[in-house]
Amino acid sequence: MNAAIEITNLKYRYHDGTEALRGVSFCIAPGECVALLGPNGSGKSTLLLHLNGILPEKLSGGGTVKILGEPVAPKNLETIRRQVGLVFQDPDDQLFCPTVQEDVAFGPQQLGLGDAEVAARVQKALAQAGLADFGRRATHHLSHGEKRRVCLAGVLACEPVILILDEPTSDLDPRGRREFKALLRQIPATKLIATHDLELVVELCSRAIVLDRGSVVADGPMLELLNDEKLMLEHGLERPHILRHQHPHQPKTDRSATQHNPKRW
Amino acid sequence: MHRLPAAPKLGLALVIIVVTVLAPVQWRAWFIGVAVLLVLTAWLSQLPLLFLFRRLLVLSPFVLGVVLVNAFQLAGCANWLVVAVKSVLCLLTVILVSNTTPFSQILRVLKSIRVPALLITTLALMHRYLFVLMDESERMRRARASRTFTRGRRFHWNTLATVVGQLFIRASERAERIYDAMCARGWK
Amino acid sequence: MHIPDGFIDGRTAAVTAVISAAGVGFALRQVRRELPHRRVPLLGLAAAFLFAAQMVNFPVAGGTSGHLVGGTLVAALLGPSAAVVVVTTVLIVQCFLFQDGGVLALGANVFNMAILNSVVGYMIYRMVCHWLTGIRGRVTAIAFAAWCATVLAAICCAGQLAWSGTIPWSVAFPAMATVHMFIGVGEGLISALVFLAVYRARPDLITETTLTDQPQRLGELVRYGLLATLGVAVFIAPFACSWPDGLDSVAEKFGFSHKMAAPLLATPVPDYQMPGIHWAVGATAAAGALGSLIVFALALLMGRWLVPKPKDA
Repeated sequence: MNAAIEITNLKYRYHDGTEALRGVSFCIAPGECVALLGPNGSGKSTLLLHLNGILPEKLSGGGTVKILGEPVAPKNLETIRRQVGLVFQDPDDQLFCPTVQEDVAFGPQQLGLGDAEVAARVQKALAQAGLADFGRRATHHLSHGEKRRVCLAGVLACEPVILILDEPTSDLDPRGRREFKALLRQIPATKLIATHDLELVVELCSRAIVLDRGSVVADGPMLELLNDEKLMLEHGLERPHILRHQHPHQPKTDRSATQHNPKRW
Repeated sequence: MHRLPAAPKLGLALVIIVVTVLAPVQWRAWFIGVAVLLVLTAWLSQLPLLFLFRRLLVLSPFVLGVVLVNAFQLAGCANWLVVAVKSVLCLLTVILVSNTTPFSQILRVLKSIRVPALLITTLALMHRYLFVLMDESERMRRARASRTFTRGRRFHWNTLATVVGQLFIRASERAERIYDAMCARGWK
Repeated sequence: MHIPDGFIDGRTAAVTAVISAAGVGFALRQVRRELPHRRVPLLGLAAAFLFAAQMVNFPVAGGTSGHLVGGTLVAALLGPSAAVVVVTTVLIVQCFLFQDGGVLALGANVFNMAILNSVVGYMIYRMVCHWLTGIRGRVTAIAFAAWCATVLAAICCAGQLAWSGTIPWSVAFPAMATVHMFIGVGEGLISALVFLAVYRARPDLITETTLTDQPQRLGELVRYGLLATLGVAVFIAPFACSWPDGLDSVAEKFGFSHKMAAPLLATPVPDYQMPGIHWAVGATAAAGALGSLIVFALALLMGRWLVPKPKDA
């Protein structure tokens, strides 16, 4: 069975020469929900843009990215983008159509579907995102939380197999965060979430990858990594409060989990 | 009024404007008729009167200019009145149409009359990001003002120019990200 | 300078609409051909930028303030064709959403502010850049070009108003030209400052849009030049070279009857009765010529002041 995402030794430099990614490698199996953690500037967004072929702009030969077994190359970008749905960090960048309906319909229309099918998909995606009667609303009048949900709906309308989210809950108020988390929980796709929201990670993800200065510094079960206070602090993160108190699925005495070293390099 | 389809509204508005501009002074019935129609429409559309009045005031410097010029004329005093009436009627028509028709519908009508796609996309994107950029501009200006302690005009101009320059750069960078977002959903 | 409806007559509106449609159509074709696909959203964003930038108030003495119009600036940053498209977009949105400028007058406004302003501004900018190199040269170039473009657009606007019989040429020309000679200074200064701000933060944005592809660019500029010349010939030349004695004699000279098109007024606009007023036209023309020399000198000085000499020169 092919890995959903397979990255081998990925390297990338910015225009001014700084190394953004220094040989990143990992594999994500179908159905997994993985968190991509790391301090600001670690290269998370740059990494995500490689997963649907937006980067690199030119083939620089720095490592390979395979989606469902197929290497990402200019000739199969269309297929890759059908399979991989990327939700961008700034919803204003992604919501470029004047109304919600038009924006969610954009993806299906680009896929070449007929009007009826497009309308059906838009309906379904909006319902999934809890925005059933938002079709006619103007995009620039929406609240931040609503914009984020419309972005998600717009990606879901393309029915991707792999869902990638870049900081999906930043700038959201607590209710917005709860609603978004509930939404994500219901989506069956393989998920890779770049985030600082450690509570989200604890609630949704089974595995975590920590990126720092363009390299993977840890990759393992989420609980183990997040409980490793030293690791977290070393890489600009911290042990989430939710784990400092009793975790519902962990017996109180099992603080020895922090001694168990996850795979590190 | 708001619920009427866009195309007939725009079509009618255009007819009114064209005929009003071309109509000679003698067609008094036309001017009166149009005025009545517009007032009725304004009432039906439930747009606040003060709002309409303020929009109409935009015309005043121009009309004043023409009035001043024509005040020196011996004949042709009626000139300024005609100009004023025509521009008020046309302006009111446009105000009523644009405030009762969503911009995306106007764009759809333009698309159906074969306006080039590139222009329509540009108009759509401009409209979408207009307020985003205006907000950014305001936020930058406020942030700068919070750190401005000198009163020199030269400094002020430099600061404002930097804000405008930054606005262009941010607009440029956002355009790139929008392009990426469009491609991510399959745009060719 | 946005002309409202009713200030220009049907004939002027029609002629300007035709010329503008041709110009904008040409610009769209050029842009499709030369703009890389990834910069297409930039047109819309640049239009939003221009609108937002026009709202920024630059305080002048005593409570008044100036603001950027920006046709030349956008032309220097994105090229002439993109600038035509961008400014046209701004004008259309201003007309429909903010009622700034009339619907029938759109042709005239687009010609003055999108086509004439951007293209002539760009041509002058390129010319001056050719003589004065480096960033200092560009700053001087953009300041001078913006001033010239502003004044020229104003003169054309005056011509259109006079053609329509709304205001006689002998008043419109001196008024519009002199006012815009001052406004143009602000425009030149602001354009230069903004250009410099962009250059300092992202010099790569400046060098990208450029001065390459000489023969292709030349062809494009020649075509715009013809269009601009046509507009100038129609709206300015008749006034510039005839006696300031009203629309009638001009119409006769150019061989079409004033009564053919639906007239705005029953009788032609009589001339000013005040003494010596045709003197004002000549004086304005002279002031304009002198003014351009002065402004160029000022632009040079400003370039020197804003851009310190590089230390390794």
